[in-house]
Amino acid sequence: MDFTYSAEDLAFRDELRTWLAANLPAGWGETVFEPEDEDENAMFRLDWERKLHKGGWNGIAWPQKYGGRGASLVEQAIFAEEMARARAPEGLNIIGRNLVATTLLHHGSEEQRQRYLPKIISGEEVWCQGFSEPNAGSDLASVRCRAIREGDHFVVNGQKIWTSFAQYAQWCILLARTDSTLPKHQGISFLLVDMSTPGVSIRPLRQISGESEFNETFFDNVKVPVANLVGDLNGGWKIAMTTLTYERGPEDALGRQIRFKQELDTLIDTAATLKRGASPAIDDPTVRQKLAKAVVEVEIMRLNCLRAFSKALKGKPRGPEASMNKLYWSHVTQNMYEAALETLGPLAPLDGGDPLSPADGRFQLSFLRSKAFTIYSGSSEIQRNIIAERLLGMPK
Amino acid sequence: MDFDFSDEQYMFQQATRGLLDKSYGLDRVRALLEGDGLDRELWTSLTESGAFAMLVPEEHGGMGLSFVDLSLVLEEYGRSLVPAPVAETIAATDVIVRHGTAEQEERLLPPIAEGRLKIVPAVAEAEAGYDPEDIGVTAVPSGNGWKVSGRKVLVPHAATADLILLAIRFGEEGSLGLALIEPDRAGISLREHATLDPSSRFHQLDLDGVTIVRDDIVGGEPSAASVTRLLDACGVVAATMMTGISGKVLDQAVGYAKQRTQFDKPIGSFQAIKHRCADMAVAIDASRSAAYYAAWALAEDAPDRRRAVSMAKSYCGDTSRFVCNEGIQLHGGIGFTWELGLHFYLRRAKVLEYSYGDAAYHRERLLADTIQQIGAGRG
Repeated sequence: MDFTYSAEDLAFRDELRTWLAANLPAGWGETVFEPEDEDENAMFRLDWERKLHKGGWNGIAWPQKYGGRGASLVEQAIFAEEMARARAPEGLNIIGRNLVATTLLHHGSEEQRQRYLPKIISGEEVWCQGFSEPNAGSDLASVRCRAIREGDHFVVNGQKIWTSFAQYAQWCILLARTDSTLPKHQGISFLLVDMSTPGVSIRPLRQISGESEFNETFFDNVKVPVANLVGDLNGGWKIAMTTLTYERGPEDALGRQIRFKQELDTLIDTAATLKRGASPAIDDPTVRQKLAKAVVEVEIMRLNCLRAFSKALKGKPRGPEASMNKLYWSHVTQNMYEAALETLGPLAPLDGGDPLSPADGRFQLSFLRSKAFTIYSGSSEIQRNIIAERLLGMPK
Repeated sequence: MDFDFSDEQYMFQQATRGLLDKSYGLDRVRALLEGDGLDRELWTSLTESGAFAMLVPEEHGGMGLSFVDLSLVLEEYGRSLVPAPVAETIAATDVIVRHGTAEQEERLLPPIAEGRLKIVPAVAEAEAGYDPEDIGVTAVPSGNGWKVSGRKVLVPHAATADLILLAIRFGEEGSLGLALIEPDRAGISLREHATLDPSSRFHQLDLDGVTIVRDDIVGGEPSAASVTRLLDACGVVAATMMTGISGKVLDQAVGYAKQRTQFDKPIGSFQAIKHRCADMAVAIDASRSAAYYAAWALAEDAPDRRRAVSMAKSYCGDTSRFVCNEGIQLHGGIGFTWELGLHFYLRRAKVLEYSYGDAAYHRERLLADTIQQIGAGRG
């Protein structure tokens, strides 16, 4: 056991820190914050991603051949940690960078890699993910969106849902049924769809937080060139599984943990300043127990990530253990936001729009957003099935 | 960056599990209900496995290993319900290695490594909380040494121990410190407690003007740091053993759910059962993260040692509570029988949960540290 980074890794960290200090706006995270308007915010995040690219800091995990740095796992972890520590914006093209790129690197043709990867890393083309459908959620393999081959095109008809960033995306990775006579896992293909093709339309969905990050996406006789098929015809399910395996690695989770820890520190600070009768809220033993539980659980999130990460460093493949980490962090962070509202007590109902809302209503917004954690990237129920069946060997 | 054990450390774990699976089943735990509760055969085989030599430096005849090397082994001890005073002796060894005088090391460590000394801590008092500052038993100066009177409770295996590591106050307003005394020293009387865990032995220890000399005091001078080190070491040992118990109970539950058939299906195919098992697996995995990190923090005497101990003791305690309760529930009626024996795990875990600081105590301690660390409320 050893919790230190090597001299080379520390040099990498210092280089990144120097770059961040020079490139984040002056007063960042103290007096200067991300824009609140959603569209402005999206463009701000895209600009940031382009800036990262110019500095050589976007897509660092990618091979050098495609514009990345071929960064080691440790460097990726340091990158995620440092971005979180600096409270740097998260880029907009998360799906392009993490999911599309990984999928194309594993399963795409060289031609496809040359065509798409450079524009992902440069932030010129934003991607969205057309996997889920109204009737294919946890049971993803039952997708009904159809792609029928006609000459050198597929003609796509159907509907996708929960398509985050579709309103900003130029491209979409699409799971479509190309053969309905085969068993459901075997008739699916993986397509790359230009969002400007006639017949593609989107409708924003309002989320419980009031925000509209995700959408419904409709495909009405959309022509997709055969060249945009990834891998084999009807071989899309296996490719989609690769995509999902790499959706969230332990190195990213290390960065996410730091952002949760920052929220928790802010919460404890808020509790210390919030008057509750004669004494601050933080003097209430019930509040203290809840805050302490959150401290323990969020810290263990880091330790879990470090253990998973250490296994990955030794070259052990990513397996169902990832489900354990996802199930863990999604629930403990939800608990943390529950504790946040309990800490605010009588003022908990005051939302961000109200001048009396403690910490500018950030905890109310985060609380609402946190409801998604146990649903996206495989709901908790699906994660529990995976853990029980694949790790514990329980019968189907 | 490597938060994992070495191949060698995993091999030692496997060897320990092999040894205990072969020679120390639940029948042996049941046998402890009678007699003085000491399993001498187990003590001998653990001695041969190097259990007591691990923390002893090589110059004193030991293996010169650390709490990190011990961590997986202690988890196995928990898993197999290895009784006191095995883990207690190991925790005491750590304190002697860290805080003992050269003379104490010379005198005590070689026989410890050879399994010839059983040492148990005497910390708890009937009218104290978990904070060491609550310790009320006080030694008063007398002649060249001290006289100590008062009562300690829940001293594990005091009747069969060779030495008792007594946490007391030296002088009314004085420092806390540790003294090593034999259980048959003049003025000591023991009464066996009735406890939740009949496979263990605990004693009330009454001290009536017991003489302590300088050589008895760990480090030669009373040292509050030695007391907190003992409590932290015992806390990590308890957290790790509870994690071992949780792992064992989950394995039992999963095994049962796979073979028990109701409604023409193994009950393990029902999501109500599966999902609960998955939640247990996640909690146990997180407990391991906390326990292993705490072992590292102890081994390195890291700046966040106190925090790591509190995280592990509170989280692993909550987990063992959850897993033992659910493990019995999952077994249904048979789980409630004395015969099946799941209650031995529940009982042992329960005692560990309330030893060396319960979850609420450790959470409070951690939060107080956190508030100070981040300067909360100072603007």
